Amino acid sequence: MKNTLRVLRAERNWSQSDLAERLEVSRQTIHAIENEKYDPSLPLAFKIAQLFGKSLEEIFFPDSD
Amino acid sequence: MKQSLPLWQRLSVSYLMSTVLFVGSYLLARLLLRANISSPFNILAALLPVPFAFLWISKFIQHIRQLDELQRRIYLEALAVAFPLTFLLLLTLGLLELTVNLPAEDWSYRHVWAMLPLLYFVGLALAKRRYE
Repeated sequence: MKNTLRVLRAERNWSQSDLAERLEVSRQTIHAIENEKYDPSLPLAFKIAQLFGKSLEEIFFPDSD
Repeated sequence: MKQSLPLWQRLSVSYLMSTVLFVGSYLLARLLLRANISSPFNILAALLPVPFAFLWISKFIQHIRQLDELQRRIYLEALAVAFPLTFLLLLTLGLLELTVNLPAEDWSYRHVWAMLPLLYFVGLALAKRRYE
């Protein structure tokens, strides 16, 4: 699954650690989501969407292939 | 404890202490049993690590519960490598012992349990690399 997490984070000048702290997860988790190595659970995805004031569809996209 | 800290920095002091106590109690039990102490103290010595093992298990579970979802998955994948490989080793040595006289001090399945943490750390390294 693709996502715009890195862009959204950069827009707010947050480091991965800043975002991790806000979401109460590890920096490793943010890194893995941004690099599309890990798809977050639905509760975490909603938490991310809520933090950035966007809907899930605006942040997460299905792979095109 | 902050979630943003790396996995190894989030190991609590009580978890590390329980690990030291468990390993220490096992080594002490081995020493006592080698000294050929009389019954029933030999049985007590053999059972010495058991309460410390339970303490370690409870601290390990506490440690797992404070991790986030990815870190839990990494631990699960590490166990998914370690458990079947240890099982395979146990099975192979058990079958071999039916046909070949394996030296008990070197190859007995009694030593296999010590391979579990080793294989667990191999699995942990592989799983961590996968999500980097």
